[in-house]
Amino acid sequence: MRKISLTITLILFFVISATLLGLIFYSPLPVLFQSLTNPEIQFAIMLSLITSVISTILCIVLAIPVAYALARYEFFGKRVVTLALTLPLTLPPLVAGIALLLFFGTTPWGKALENAGFGVIFTPLGIIVAEVFVNIPYMIRILRSAFFSINPRYEYVAKTLGCTDTGAFFQVALPMARHGLLAGAVITWSKAMGEFGAVLMLAGATTMRTETLPIALYLNISAGNLDLAVAAATILILISLITLCAVEYFDRDVHVF
Amino acid sequence: MFFNEVTTMLRIESLSITLGEFSVRDVSLEIRPGEYFIILGPTGAGKTVLLETIAGIHTPESGRIILGDKEITATEPRQRNIGMVYQDYMLFPHLTVGENIAFGLKLRKVSRDEQHTRVDEMYSLLEIGHLAKRYPGSLSGGEQQRVALARALVLKPEILLLDEPMSALDGRTRERMRRELSRIRKLTGTTIVQITHHFDEVFALADRIAIMRDGQIVQVGETSDVFLHPSDTFVAEFLGIGNLIRGTASKAGDIFRIIPERGPAFYAASGLAGEVVATLHAEDVILSHESFASSARNCLTGTVQELVPSGSTVRVILDAGFPLTALLTRESCRDLHLEPGCRVYATFKASAVHVIPVNSQE
Repeated sequence: MRKISLTITLILFFVISATLLGLIFYSPLPVLFQSLTNPEIQFAIMLSLITSVISTILCIVLAIPVAYALARYEFFGKRVVTLALTLPLTLPPLVAGIALLLFFGTTPWGKALENAGFGVIFTPLGIIVAEVFVNIPYMIRILRSAFFSINPRYEYVAKTLGCTDTGAFFQVALPMARHGLLAGAVITWSKAMGEFGAVLMLAGATTMRTETLPIALYLNISAGNLDLAVAAATILILISLITLCAVEYFDRDVHVF
Repeated sequence: MFFNEVTTMLRIESLSITLGEFSVRDVSLEIRPGEYFIILGPTGAGKTVLLETIAGIHTPESGRIILGDKEITATEPRQRNIGMVYQDYMLFPHLTVGENIAFGLKLRKVSRDEQHTRVDEMYSLLEIGHLAKRYPGSLSGGEQQRVALARALVLKPEILLLDEPMSALDGRTRERMRRELSRIRKLTGTTIVQITHHFDEVFALADRIAIMRDGQIVQVGETSDVFLHPSDTFVAEFLGIGNLIRGTASKAGDIFRIIPERGPAFYAASGLAGEVVATLHAEDVILSHESFASSARNCLTGTVQELVPSGSTVRVILDAGFPLTALLTRESCRDLHLEPGCRVYATFKASAVHVIPVNSQE
């Protein structure tokens, strides 16, 4: 068994590494650097960075109270609420995208937002909305497990020492959940950088307007610009690698997956 | 009831609360200023819920809590000035020992200088100054316990609540902790309410105890009264595992000789001279009809007063000059043909006797 399992492990390791390295080294380095200076790729990098950072911050701000509520309080319908909040985890992003498109495109809500100047459909704002919608369940789940693993008695003691309810949360529960928070933020951010399906549906794929890195990859491969597509893909691989290392580092006491 | 207000530190009136599977039902207690009060009961009796409700963590369904002359039933925990130390300490892992102790002072906006002075006082009171820069994760159980006490005591609470302070500690650390509690009480005069689920050395410190079962208080009284006159078999069973004997100890060679207030002297392997309380577990007492040669230092004679069966064991209460309880299996009890009025020998090792000073000068 030892031999077989180790052999298969080794083979798989080589196949995966070779595939990814093959992609990274497909274009000679000068061509890769050339592509990275291409205005379209640079636009995509900037847009991806801006939208992913904003959507990650929104995810954190929204997920912290929700995760805390799910971990600490009992309320009517908690199971259903939990299910609904984490459903997007298993939902194909394309489906999430089309649901968002219908919500913002056909309901009075969406129309009102559009009229107020917050157009979501086929706009960069749509990218952020799609990323938050798809990624917030990860953030909620990671933070919920982080809060859940903290004995509420830490907060009880903090209250006897002079904290208000909110004070105990900010001074004790949140700092104690910091590893989960960091791991969740890194995962959410990297997933936002790579989000394709939901963004495509809601924000469209307009060159130099809603063109994030994955969209750039898709548009360029469709147009036959292999070098630009590879450049976008290389950046995405590097981001994945950094994420994995960061999560391994922060994940010592939080179980993310 | 002016008189009452002076002699009561904390009054609990018909307190009821249910929290999941734990409940407290119609509990009334009065705790006096400076008192060491122990609430004893089995796991699941609702002791922790009661303690947390006194601290203000949970709001009772009915009943009142009065601290001094103020009703605090609906007061937030932070405004009660009641300290709490949990069994597993609950030190904040992201803060150093020093920061943990200063936590409450910072929240109270105490000036930096005063914070320093008061934290230093705690360092010397509990001998933990050398731990100041360490994080709780790297401390031993006994050290964490002392830091947790310091964190609560630095705020000079009117009442200190202790949740099973001894149960997570090993034998030697327990003894140290007991001395620590005795000293703290002497130096600070803090009223202490402690919960525990079994008899241990700390009972020598208790002025009064309450027995709790299924969320209700079954018996309250002076420690020795409750030990000698348990109100029912449940209480007896719970306390049956211990003997508390007051007396005077003096050094006799390498060991100590204890002369009880009444009755014959006996020996303890270690201890100190002066006014003491000796504790002896009932299961460490061997009964026989003849005296026999053994390594045990103590062999007393006594008359069987009462046999109290409970489960597979029987509590045999002897009059050996002072009341002495032995715990026997039903079989042993039958084989010895014990019945009230029998004269028997009670043998126990000097090392089974723990000696605790009454007026600790440490």
